[in-house]
Amino acid sequence: MDLLQGTLDMLVLRTLRAGSLHGYGIAKSIRNTSNQALDIEFGSLYPALKRLEAKGWIAAGWDTSEHNRRAKFYKLTAAGRKHLLREHSKWAEFVSAVGRIMGGLPAAKS
Amino acid sequence: MLWNRFKYLWPARRRREEREMREELESLTAIAGGRELGNLTLAMEDARATWGWTWLEGIFADIRYSFRALRSQPAFVAVAVLSLALAVGANSAIFSFADALLLRPLPVRNPASVLDVSSAMPDNPLEGMSFPDYRDLRDKSSSFSGLAAYRLDSVAVASNPAAPAQIRFASLVSDNFFAVAGVTPSVGRAFLPDEAARSAQPVAMISYEFWQQNYAGEHSVIGGSVRVNGIVFTIVGVTPASFTGLDRFFRPSIFVPLEMAQRLDGKLTDPLEDRGRHDLIVKGRLSAGASEESAQAELAAIGSALEREYLKTNRNRHMTVRTELSRRIQQSPQLLALVKMLMGLVALILIIACSNVANLLLARGRGRSREIAIRLSIGAGRSRVVRQLMTESLIVSLAGGIAGLFVAYAGIRLLQTLSVPSDPPNVLGVELDWRVVRFSLLAALGSCIIFGLAPAWQTARTDFLRALKTGGDNGSGTRRTLGRDALVAGQIALAMVVLIAAGMFLDGFRNMLVMPPEFRTDHLISLDTAPAVLHYSPEQTKAFYRRLVARVSTMPGVAGVAMTESLPLSPSQSAVSVAPEGHQFPKGRETEVEFGAAVDAAYFSALNVEIKLGRAFTDDDRAGSRRVAIVNQQFAKAYWPDRNPIGKRIRLGSADGPAAEVVGVAKTGHYLAVNEAPAPFVYLPYEQNPRSRMTLVVQSVGEASALATPLRDAVRSIDANVPVFNLRTVATLYESRVTDTWLQFFQMVGAMGFIGLALAASGLYGLVNYTVSRRVKEFGVRVAVGASRRDVVWLVERRGLILGGVGIAIGGVLARVAAPMLDAGFPGLGVSSPAVYVLAPLALLMVSAIASYVPARRAAGLDPLRALRNE
Repeated sequence: MDLLQGTLDMLVLRTLRAGSLHGYGIAKSIRNTSNQALDIEFGSLYPALKRLEAKGWIAAGWDTSEHNRRAKFYKLTAAGRKHLLREHSKWAEFVSAVGRIMGGLPAAKS
Repeated sequence: MLWNRFKYLWPARRRREEREMREELESLTAIAGGRELGNLTLAMEDARATWGWTWLEGIFADIRYSFRALRSQPAFVAVAVLSLALAVGANSAIFSFADALLLRPLPVRNPASVLDVSSAMPDNPLEGMSFPDYRDLRDKSSSFSGLAAYRLDSVAVASNPAAPAQIRFASLVSDNFFAVAGVTPSVGRAFLPDEAARSAQPVAMISYEFWQQNYAGEHSVIGGSVRVNGIVFTIVGVTPASFTGLDRFFRPSIFVPLEMAQRLDGKLTDPLEDRGRHDLIVKGRLSAGASEESAQAELAAIGSALEREYLKTNRNRHMTVRTELSRRIQQSPQLLALVKMLMGLVALILIIACSNVANLLLARGRGRSREIAIRLSIGAGRSRVVRQLMTESLIVSLAGGIAGLFVAYAGIRLLQTLSVPSDPPNVLGVELDWRVVRFSLLAALGSCIIFGLAPAWQTARTDFLRALKTGGDNGSGTRRTLGRDALVAGQIALAMVVLIAAGMFLDGFRNMLVMPPEFRTDHLISLDTAPAVLHYSPEQTKAFYRRLVARVSTMPGVAGVAMTESLPLSPSQSAVSVAPEGHQFPKGRETEVEFGAAVDAAYFSALNVEIKLGRAFTDDDRAGSRRVAIVNQQFAKAYWPDRNPIGKRIRLGSADGPAAEVVGVAKTGHYLAVNEAPAPFVYLPYEQNPRSRMTLVVQSVGEASALATPLRDAVRSIDANVPVFNLRTVATLYESRVTDTWLQFFQMVGAMGFIGLALAASGLYGLVNYTVSRRVKEFGVRVAVGASRRDVVWLVERRGLILGGVGIAIGGVLARVAAPMLDAGFPGLGVSSPAVYVLAPLALLMVSAIASYVPARRAAGLDPLRALRNE
């Protein structure tokens, strides 16, 4: 499934709200939470992480992973939390607006 | 946020980020496995893009790559840079020259809003203003926020009582002069309103240069004194170094209030109250909202009111407002013609050089089509390739521009030596200033953009599949180089125009070098004195000169002494108003101003001026005896054609002035310049027409310059306060006025012709050489099937000669078209000189032959087997 522009940032921030994760962990988490519907390519995710980091919404630091390996972990910053709230309400508005227009699934005419 | 982006510019920071990313991705690879993560190089590239400097990196990469590409082709770079350097350098040098002659704005604040106001007469559109007229304009007009008046005078200045008087230029200025100019003194203050009228002690300002030379830049100079024409002035200020006065060629050393004019001149009446005395230059700064047109309209109205009120002095006067540039053009149309012609020539050279570079770029693009094809096929965008190629030509043209500055500097050094030895010195301030630098770099960049884009675009358009298949461009030679052929033919055509123009210029002025001076220049030394600055009375002045002549004629080594009001070919010439008997003047005029000088009886023999008819002056032509005059042949021809001039009468000064009878006719000489049209000239006997300032001409037995010191001493022994200046041999004056100046123009124009020729030759050589390298295989086949070396040489040579011939033909036509323009600027120069039309094509043809012979030899020397195996 293709993602709407800007949605990836929101997904990453939302995923990190639960706790800090490394880059691959984020990709996995999104895939699992969406029941495999959203398979984010790591090649797109990684630049997004760097972008969010540059904006100061997430912060990175080295830590030890579940398999006792060193990895860089990302966590949400206060600014990121605020941004996520904003994005979230915008998203909700968007979904409900689209929902009002689309209504229930129309019966297919033959 | 901004800082966040800028920190990524820091190289250490970038390296750290880079390392971090690499480590992070390695650790993730260890966790997830390489396959799962996909193309990590691309991910890193994209992550780096978030730093936001990819465009800058792209440019750096372009530059790095360009340098690498250029380094591999030193010959290309050398020729391109050299072509541009010569052309840009020549353009900059000529621009500096034009700047000094004509274009440089006044050294005032916001010069664009300062206009010139003159009191134009039908016969003299630039006539100066009288002080009463100026005062009325200043009081009544509202178009100007300030109107300043000044006049330039030479005065005797002594920086302290012990120092000998030096002759210097002084500006007599209105009290608002510096306010209108917007010039703030570097030390001290400017004049106060009505200062001259209110304070008992005369005040003066000195120029920065004078301050440095005579007071070593001491600040204590303020409040000190300086003697000007024997009057003690208190120094109140020093002008800034950047302010050199409002005249192009004369730099005043001292500024005094205009109200001092009467005392400085030593006159009985105040020149400022004389409405008929038109010697002030007036400049006005436009007030907000006023334009040149509105100011002109207002001043014209005030002017006609003045005309009605003061009919006697102001009849036919028109107050005229014009820009500084149009004043200069009006003042010296010859300079404009010279500047236009030189600028035109160097512009042609710039075009030749640029097409040279364009040609080189095109050839290079073809040679690199394989490389470009590879870059295109691995995904580089065409615009990216164009950008890369443009970067290369940008680097080349910048290098050419910078190298051109050095060429310009050398040219300017040559031009700086153009001057006339005189005191006070008149200056031709040819300087390499930042405007010239800007001009050079812009010229280089402009040429890069105009002449680099097309080749770059054409190169990037390469059909890369074919290029890869055939291993470069192997299209048939003739069709594919058609554009380049046209460029080279065009170059040769322009070079032809440059050569012909230069040739006609040189041919026209060659006459000047071989033209006899029409007066003796050897064994003569001259000096000027000005006893008038010490307020000698006319009688005292006459007595002074009488004593001086008597003293000098008894000095050892002196063969003769003569006096004249002005020496022929000295930079300033005296003139007289004459009303020749029987001459019909146009309505409203009663006299004509002609060159003329008061001379003594010894003048004609000392300077060897031939008397064609009648007699020379004698000692009997003295005050009280019958007034006489001698005219030159041109004067006789102009006023009394086909009649005997002897016995005719000339009224002097005005139509009812004293009449002088013509007693002799002298040979027409050169007065202001050797290239002038024959000019009428009147000689008047000094004793009947005493002047306040005379030039002494001394004929020596031996070396003329050896008399310099004894002459100075002779003046000093009569009166030590009389300034001596312009002490120089007549030969020196003649050389500087005639030989040196024109020789330098010769060198300049000759250099341009040579540069044009060299550039065209290198263009032709480049093209022919390129075709040879493209046709290696063909030549190999020809030789293999039995063509002789001579056949191959001729094959190549023929091509060069055809191109040369076409260019020469086009250039010849262009030159014929351009010749009338040259003639308009320099009467007589544009007339075809057959020699030039023969020599210029011959030179070009020869150069074409040589330029194509070198590659032809190379083609003929090819080993056919190697040439064929080359594929």
